[in-house]
Amino acid sequence: MAVVTLDKLSKQYGPTGPVVVDKVDLHIGDGEFMVLLGPSGCGKSTTLRMIAGLEEISSGKLSIGDRVVNQVPAKDRDIAMVFQSYALYPHMSVADNLAFGLRRRNFAAAEIERRVQDAANILGLTPLLTRKPSALSGGQRQRVALGRAMVREPMVFLFDEPLSNLDAALRVNTRSEIIKQHKRLGSTMIYVTHDQVEAMTMGTRICVMNAGRVAQIGAPLDVYWEPADTFVARFLGSPPMNLATAAVVAVDDSHVARSPSVETALTRWSPQVLGNLADQKVTIGVRAEDLHINKAALGGEPAGHVRGRTIAVEPLGAETLLLVEIESGVEWTARLPRHVPVAIDETVDLYFPANAVFVFDAMTGRAIIGEKRRDIRQ
Amino acid sequence: MAAMLAERAPLPRFFSRGALALVLGLYTIYTLGPFLWLATMSVRTTAEISADHYAWPKVFHWEQFRIAWVDSDFATYFWNSTIVVVGAVAVVTLLGAAAAHALARYRFRGNRLVYGILFSSIIFPPQITLISLYQILVDYNLYNSLLGLTLVYVSLQLPLTVYLLEGFFARIPQDLFDAAKIDGYGDLEIFRRIVLPIGMPAIATTLILNFIQLWNEFLFAVVLITDPDKRTLPVGIRAFMGDHFQDIGMIATGVMISVIPVIIVYIFFSEKLIRGMTAGAIK
Amino acid sequence: MTSISVPSVAEEGAQHAAPSLADPRRASWWVLTVFLAPALAVYVGLTAYPAFRTFYDSFFTIEGLDATFVGLDNYRALMSDETFWVSVRNTFIWSFIAPVLDVVTGLLLALALYAGVPAARFLRVAWFTPVLLSYVVVAILWMWIFNYDWGILNATLRAVGLEALASSWLGDPNLALGALIVTHAWKWAGFNMVVCLAAIHSLPREVLEASELDNCGWGAKLRYVIVPMLRPTLLNLYILAFIGKMKIFDLVWIMTQGGPLWATETVSTYVYKRAFNWNTFDLGYPSAIASVWFVVVCAAVIILNRLLATRERLEY
Repeated sequence: MAVVTLDKLSKQYGPTGPVVVDKVDLHIGDGEFMVLLGPSGCGKSTTLRMIAGLEEISSGKLSIGDRVVNQVPAKDRDIAMVFQSYALYPHMSVADNLAFGLRRRNFAAAEIERRVQDAANILGLTPLLTRKPSALSGGQRQRVALGRAMVREPMVFLFDEPLSNLDAALRVNTRSEIIKQHKRLGSTMIYVTHDQVEAMTMGTRICVMNAGRVAQIGAPLDVYWEPADTFVARFLGSPPMNLATAAVVAVDDSHVARSPSVETALTRWSPQVLGNLADQKVTIGVRAEDLHINKAALGGEPAGHVRGRTIAVEPLGAETLLLVEIESGVEWTARLPRHVPVAIDETVDLYFPANAVFVFDAMTGRAIIGEKRRDIRQ
Repeated sequence: MAAMLAERAPLPRFFSRGALALVLGLYTIYTLGPFLWLATMSVRTTAEISADHYAWPKVFHWEQFRIAWVDSDFATYFWNSTIVVVGAVAVVTLLGAAAAHALARYRFRGNRLVYGILFSSIIFPPQITLISLYQILVDYNLYNSLLGLTLVYVSLQLPLTVYLLEGFFARIPQDLFDAAKIDGYGDLEIFRRIVLPIGMPAIATTLILNFIQLWNEFLFAVVLITDPDKRTLPVGIRAFMGDHFQDIGMIATGVMISVIPVIIVYIFFSEKLIRGMTAGAIK
Repeated sequence: MTSISVPSVAEEGAQHAAPSLADPRRASWWVLTVFLAPALAVYVGLTAYPAFRTFYDSFFTIEGLDATFVGLDNYRALMSDETFWVSVRNTFIWSFIAPVLDVVTGLLLALALYAGVPAARFLRVAWFTPVLLSYVVVAILWMWIFNYDWGILNATLRAVGLEALASSWLGDPNLALGALIVTHAWKWAGFNMVVCLAAIHSLPREVLEASELDNCGWGAKLRYVIVPMLRPTLLNLYILAFIGKMKIFDLVWIMTQGGPLWATETVSTYVYKRAFNWNTFDLGYPSAIASVWFVVVCAAVIILNRLLATRERLEY
């Protein structure tokens, strides 16, 4: 079983140096496509390299398959890696690049030939086999890098931001190529990226990392709709989730969140939970696509309301982004359909379904979990 | 970076740490040993050396240096070298920088041709110019003169200087020059105010490099100077060795005198020196 | 760099108002002269002209101020001059073989430092030191090392019981050239080491990591990845070493003067002797030697460059 388990895996440079990976716990199942997602410097690449054996593990336990591999050298871990810079051997032809690892492992010539031809056919590299990497385009080079990993038929594939060096169109192509191979091979794949689009479209599960720690692990849509903290909430989704500080106030026999410019009912939380939060400050969040300028669009459902001054109107054709300053220094972005007749500096009222609100602890940023939203089809 | 690689790169299996350390230690002795031997011999008298060539000095005869300096004319040789080398380096740096700037910055017909001509003369064997230079200096009454030698030294180092500086100057962003032109600066001013300050690292490196090469230059010095009191240091040491080849102590002291300035420059500028001297070789 | 068309408002800053000079990459004839003329004057006067003159002189016999035209006589004499051919042979042996020693030593030393030994920084600086010493210093040191009676080499051999090997390193015609080659290599090893080390450090880290994942140990990495990727640098070093040894004079002159029995005679020492040491003091003949040698060196460099310099850039 190609299972990978990280047990409190940590990386520290020197006894007094910075801790770049801090006790990461992660279990990756057989055949899963796990995406390590996070901003630069969050430790995701270092984690991947520890799994690969290219970085020494400072503490914690790493298992691949059913054995602990902390001390096992990289070449014996039955993994293959696709690097950000492709890392092809510049002095060898494409065919030799593909065959190199197998030759060094003393595979039979016939077997090498078969695997190389297979990979070349699948990835469309057959006409390029005699060329050197310098004669290939970026997309072709990345496919060769992918092929080099595939011929190894490893237990686990590792990807270190493989699409970062490609332009937008190529990125989409190569992305679907990788997804296709994952479906075909069914291998376990661990994929590092800072691009949330890649994470959302490619992963069976994503692991969001922040400053060396795991922020949240889950299926992409689960993480999107139920973020564990404000960091994850804002990292996924474009434009990022709108946040505001508000106080929880008891009104009649229910509670509302209220701030100078926002007010909303809190329908997804039980009275006890809200009772505990009464008169405290919380951070509330509303996604840009949940904001409407037309209250009627919400039907008769309980709604929240936010008022602000328009700073910018960005008509994108299919939708319009409205930037609104709701308090000094706090800007909310609304994603509105098609054309919106609002001018700059106008005061505007926006409405959102009350059960689209997220609530986070004002101090720690951790989500205060309520009932699942009923309007989202999973 | 090297430290991180060291953390990861396991040593080859057939080299235990001990064996590698031994090999490296031996090589270091091989490299620095002769020099250390020279240093010890320079403070011992020839009599002591003849008795035991490898003993550590019991008495440090520092007066050997004074004797060599004053009595054996090493002072003269030293000053001759200083005059010639400092003069030549100053001139070649100025001329070379000006030419390098023009070649790097301005488009004109024949730019690459001029550069190619200057650059290709690096491979000239010295003999092709040696004999004629001898004749030319004689014709112009510059034979056996420090001035003549200085001029020849300038011509020797010019190709290398232009090559190194042109490479560096070409990498200065054109935007700086465009901005200066818009501000109304003339070409000569631009050279003085922009190229020289920004190019200072490369100029310093070239300067040190030329200094070392000319300080150690022998062939032209021995051909173009015959007066004993105009000799440069390498020639002087050689002559001294010829006259007193048994006087090992004194020769060692004299050699040390010639080596010390180089070592001092090296201690302060080792990185610059290493980088400068290997600049053209890295592809 | 793209040229900028500077609005005419700024043109009054320049000395000349010609429109083409609005382009900051063009300079007036006067400016170019100021920058280039001094250097070109030095070059023409002290390098180009003397070179041509040497070539010109080779067709004469020149004694003092008398120059007698002799046509190709000098060249004919050269063809049958045994000493000349011996010196050519010696110089070629040196120039083609010694660089291999230089480059291999440099690479090995660089790899030793790259493996991450402690004090690598100190060793790099220490091993570079001989490169800075003048040939005079190096020559004297090694003459003392090679000394038959008390030199380090023989003393060590005798101390470990290998007396039979103790020889007159500089006095034996069979050993002298080798001894000089070793001396010269001692001086230059550090240079090659530094260049190789810089080249190894500039190899892309991820390619080396990929090779580790491809089951390469140190030996395989060296053979299949590191050395092939270093090829341009190694060949460049070979050519540089080759050029240096074709020109060699100082070391030979001081240590053996071309002896014993012409075992270490190089073309440069021979030219020097014919020009300045012989009683005839004829400058025409050595000019011929110098001219021939000039052509040989240039041809060799061009041929070597064609043969060895990789045309395809190893892009990484």
